[in-house]
Amino acid sequence: MNSNTIDPIQPNPTKSANFGKRLRSILFSQEGILFIILMIVMAVLSQLNENFLTSSNLLNQGRLMSEVGLVALPMTFIIITAGIDLSVGSILGLSAIVLGILWKNVGLPLELAIVLCLVIGSLAGLVNGLFIVKLDVPPLIMTLATLALYRGLAQGVSQARSVTGYPEWFYIFGQGRIFGIPTQLWLFIFGTIISIIILRRTTLGRYLYAIGHNPVGAKFSGLPVSRVLLTIYAYSGFMAALAAVIFVSRVTTTRSDMGTGLELDVIAAVVLGGTSIFGGKGSILGTLIGLILIQLLKNGLALSGVTSDATIIVIGTVLILAILINNFVQSRREG
Amino acid sequence: MKVKLSLIFSMVVLASMALAQTWDGADDLPTNPLACGMSSGGGEVAMLDYNGGMVSGGMSMAGEDIVLIDVPKLVGIGYFAATTAGQQKAAEQLGNVTVTTDAPTEANIDDQIAVIENYIASGNINGILFAANDPVAIAPVLRSALEKGIHVVGYDANSEPDAREWFVNQAEFNGIAKAMIDSLVAEKGEDAGFGIVTSTFTTPNQARWIAEMQAYQESCYPDMTWLETVEAQEDAVLSFNQANTLMNKYGEDLHGILGMTSVATPSSADAVTQAGLCGEVAVVGLATPNAMKPYVDDGCVESVVLWNPVDLGYAATYVMRAIVDGDLNPGDTSVMAGDLGELQVVNGSEILLGAPFIFNADNINDFDF
Repeated sequence: MNSNTIDPIQPNPTKSANFGKRLRSILFSQEGILFIILMIVMAVLSQLNENFLTSSNLLNQGRLMSEVGLVALPMTFIIITAGIDLSVGSILGLSAIVLGILWKNVGLPLELAIVLCLVIGSLAGLVNGLFIVKLDVPPLIMTLATLALYRGLAQGVSQARSVTGYPEWFYIFGQGRIFGIPTQLWLFIFGTIISIIILRRTTLGRYLYAIGHNPVGAKFSGLPVSRVLLTIYAYSGFMAALAAVIFVSRVTTTRSDMGTGLELDVIAAVVLGGTSIFGGKGSILGTLIGLILIQLLKNGLALSGVTSDATIIVIGTVLILAILINNFVQSRREG
Repeated sequence: MKVKLSLIFSMVVLASMALAQTWDGADDLPTNPLACGMSSGGGEVAMLDYNGGMVSGGMSMAGEDIVLIDVPKLVGIGYFAATTAGQQKAAEQLGNVTVTTDAPTEANIDDQIAVIENYIASGNINGILFAANDPVAIAPVLRSALEKGIHVVGYDANSEPDAREWFVNQAEFNGIAKAMIDSLVAEKGEDAGFGIVTSTFTTPNQARWIAEMQAYQESCYPDMTWLETVEAQEDAVLSFNQANTLMNKYGEDLHGILGMTSVATPSSADAVTQAGLCGEVAVVGLATPNAMKPYVDDGCVESVVLWNPVDLGYAATYVMRAIVDGDLNPGDTSVMAGDLGELQVVNGSEILLGAPFIFNADNINDFDF
């Protein structure tokens, strides 16, 4: 018996049912719901101030978002493995200080200082990974410890003094444009594409989900769990250092308290994007929409004359609502 | 096992490296200590050429209604509530100025920059009043405001001079430094040992005052002992704990605590009161009068150093109006600021509010902010 005889009204039920199913699954996926919310928010905000939906404002917001965005990419990977990295803000601060000190006090060429800054950032991430993998320290505890430790190091190394007076060419990273698009937005777009490919098209991506779903199972299935975790924590440190270079270039100074609280902005965007804090679930696309939603809300509300303290309240409310709507829709789908 | 041991070892080394560092909390800039003695400061004022920035675009708004945005370091603390009150008072008197205060709820350089960026993008402001969380970091966004024809005036905490037009200076750094050290010496003598509770070592005003205090103390009272400078953000609980730490750590060697922020000073006074050490440990510091009244009234604190933040906000608003109306131009040596009368131009492009003010038991109840 085939399906045609059951339902004679539908000439080709498999095809159209499949299409409807696919459309529904896209529309009602985490990302789909978020995207709809984002569109609604943008429509409302563009009504409130005519300067919101202009290319110069949106590009500027892209510029401001890139630092958080770059760090959110590896954070998505880490949270998919049921881990977390709270030390990213401190790694940003430490890397920034290393950049400034190596250039100004040690006298290295700025190009070399940038490379070493990225190396130090990656090493800081690697140390997190080593403790988590080799000593089985829970990621939350380990990175909470290095959150304090790296910040302390940054203060110690810098003696709490700031470094300024960078050469003009260096400002290209934070203030410049290439083909009309802010430089750091190019870096972020590039990083996003790479991360999407890693997560969806490589074995490393599959390993991440497997580790998040069942770490013990992953280990006994012969997956290189240690190597994978070391890689993503080092990647996280690297991206924090890259964000540091951009940040220093944007604000033209180095301070040891740079990046304070960055981890919360990053984690908020990732979790809003539908990545499960318990691991095994999540996507870069979701993180991207989460980032844009938070950034545009902040910007759009400010443009329409809402003060900063009220803005935080609205954002908190939208976060909760978005997650509630998503949970509701997801449970309906499964039920 | 070896890997684990070496990992732990390297962590311990790193941690102890971080702990071994101590700071005095001063910055690197050159200092300019005033003459010793109990006279009330106010030395020579050097005349420099105008070194502020220039606003572009020739649209004159003289006499017209203007909309200003005020971006202090943060909102939600008494000090900046007082500067806001001063701005509102000036706006009311002038009649053709609207000021709105908006700033992050934490003193964060990035958030402050984002607030200013957003107001520039909104396209409906004529001027920015600011108190910078970092003098260099805030400069690019202020320069972009000047390029778009928006007037920029700083108060309380300066930016790089060319990133704004004028800066209203509440009191010269060396004047405050002298007032602090002199007050402590008056209470505890020329060989007192003291500790400092500051916000963070990177906060520019505090670092500047500490550097000036260091220079003044070294040249005038070399027998004083500078025990330690501790960080307490601008957090009341942390300030209280840090003051306690100083008392426990140094015991009898500690004769005074200098509070460098309007949060640290009352918290330190509270800590000294609760420890029952009033009279043993003097508290001198920068603070707003309302927060200090209980401690001054019960005699635990003798002197509180500050300027009047209401006047500071008031003057900043008048200066902005004067620029827009063309009454204050590069090269001028003074400006009229409403009830405050004529204020002097110093350091090229700064307007000096006056000498620091010392609140004590005799006058503190005359003030309410």
